[in-house]
Amino acid sequence: MATHESTVDLVEGDVVRQFARAAVLAALIGVLGAIQIPYPLSPAPITLQVLFVFLAGLVLGPVWGTASMLLYLAAGAVGAPVFSGWEAGLGPLLGQTGGFLWSYPLAAGLIGLVVHRGTDLRDPASVPLPIVVGALVAGTVLVYAMGTGYAAWLLALEPWEAIAGFALPFIPAELLKMAAAIAIVTSGRIEPVQS
Amino acid sequence: MIEFRSVSYAFDDVNVLEDVSLTIDDGEFVLFAGANGSGKTTLLRHCNGLLTPDSGEVLVDETPVSENLVAARSNVGMVFQHPRDQFVAATVGADVAFGPENLGLSRQEIDRRVDAALEAVNMAGREDERIDALSGGEQSRVAIAGALAMEPTHLVLDEPFTGLDDPAKRSVLERLESLSADGTGVLLATHDLRDVLALADRVVAMRDGHIVVDEPPARAREALSGLEVRVPEA
Amino acid sequence: MLSYEPDGTLAHRLDPRSKLAIQIGFAATALAHTGLRALAALSVVAAVVLLVARVSVLEALYAYRYALVFLTLAPLLAAVTFGSPWIDLEDGATSARASYRVLLILLVSAAYVRSTPVRASRAAIQRTIPGKPGQLLGIGVALVFRFLPVLQADLRTIRDAMAARLGDERSAVDRASTIGILGLSRAFDRADRLALAMQARCFAWNPTLPALSLSRLDYPAFAVAVVLALSAFL
Repeated sequence: MATHESTVDLVEGDVVRQFARAAVLAALIGVLGAIQIPYPLSPAPITLQVLFVFLAGLVLGPVWGTASMLLYLAAGAVGAPVFSGWEAGLGPLLGQTGGFLWSYPLAAGLIGLVVHRGTDLRDPASVPLPIVVGALVAGTVLVYAMGTGYAAWLLALEPWEAIAGFALPFIPAELLKMAAAIAIVTSGRIEPVQS
Repeated sequence: MIEFRSVSYAFDDVNVLEDVSLTIDDGEFVLFAGANGSGKTTLLRHCNGLLTPDSGEVLVDETPVSENLVAARSNVGMVFQHPRDQFVAATVGADVAFGPENLGLSRQEIDRRVDAALEAVNMAGREDERIDALSGGEQSRVAIAGALAMEPTHLVLDEPFTGLDDPAKRSVLERLESLSADGTGVLLATHDLRDVLALADRVVAMRDGHIVVDEPPARAREALSGLEVRVPEA
Repeated sequence: MLSYEPDGTLAHRLDPRSKLAIQIGFAATALAHTGLRALAALSVVAAVVLLVARVSVLEALYAYRYALVFLTLAPLLAAVTFGSPWIDLEDGATSARASYRVLLILLVSAAYVRSTPVRASRAAIQRTIPGKPGQLLGIGVALVFRFLPVLQADLRTIRDAMAARLGDERSAVDRASTIGILGLSRAFDRADRLALAMQARCFAWNPTLPALSLSRLDYPAFAVAVVLALSAFL
């Protein structure tokens, strides 16, 4: 046979599994970008995307959670309509949403690191609740700090102007997403891949 | 040739396979029958090293699977239930090329194999179509093409007809028949033998991790009663 | 929604890497300038880029309509001040110029999206980022494109099922967590099946990379990218 069997370097089984989950979660976040929940306090409708950024860290852990978010950004950059409101392209990564989008891999990594205390995954349902809550709060603060900070610089806004336009209106929605994330991990119905 | 030598496998402390031995020659069309949980899926996933036996050994062309996974996986192509979840690209041609690309073949050889595999499943010339725009039967056939592009000697299909309507099922069956006629061995796991019994050279039925029937189709019909398997009416 | 469409434009014939370079060069200089003359020059460049890829300005604006909401809002926020004179026009104008350059960056990226198929982007990623990260990123991007329509259908099913079970009367947290659990568990079931199928097709770290080669057109394109990037320092 004409194959070069001896030189084929197979991807390890547990890597394939985590990678497949990371890629599919990235697509799922993209689909959620198109589902907009009308929200009276916000100038633009909110989406559940950040909830799944939390879940990426909680369920896939720091390494694959971060990888999943990088796949999401890369797919969007080259044209998958995954950014909120079906948007695609490199533009959104550099435009006023850029700070938010770039915070996703960092937030997923941070949440994963705090909850799993390293790169060996454990069941997030078994992690004490205050640690999960602390991780989610830290992740949210990171998302909004990067998001509003970049928007303020980019659009020549004072910090309080950016906070008023890009952060304050969303706080109730973020509390909702945190509560949902906690309900999901404590339900014990999503099992991480144990390697 | 695929050989199982006293293969046992347990999952969560339950024996899924117990001391199974079986030899499948090149070119044979073998049906694997049995209810859900009988062990047929587990058995077949040993053919290409997706599962590793707790004891015993599986050999493909006389080489232990564990010694050369790449050879086992390229010689035994595998298609699973739910073809929708088995594609790695949005378009037909890019997906079918995945296997040969992984084998490190030249671009020219990859293109040749993609053409040949699509031809074999009656999808020639449709490389640029989007997979999500295809019908269920077409998706099944593209999934088969993805396995064929590895140029396997055997093709394993696990419940490939789930969710397919009759015309789609017939279109897949017709392709399997023609592949078999051209010399590819076919291992087909199903709980519904009604339309496939006539195509097979051999029927292997499993229950509780054991092979309980291994006969040519003509003699298998009676032995299959009581196995929760649907057989054609006499 | 903006997406790839086959066409024969100059933009379609360029290598994805030169198109990425032009976008980065353009963004670099746009982020460095907010003067009126610079914005006028950048507008001309953006218009040429859209023309070359045959994307209408209106269509591109429509694709980024949600972004436009924020870009319009920003100058208003900047102009409003607490206390007399309540409106600071100069602050508003500065912010309006800053918002306008963001709009130009968005429009330029529309040209890439319209003119570049997934397989070309995947090839560009795998050929630019070396080793295992490049391989995973390239295949992963293809998988995201592939699974978007599949998961969209899943989510629709989940929402219909929730609506049918009086989901509208449940609390917002309850609704969000139900979507989360059902969405994630379905997606992971699909991912687990995908992982098996990829292994069966010899998913490897060192595959044959998709073909990609620079043509004569790409050298001037790279030169444009460099000039744009350097103009950031003017």
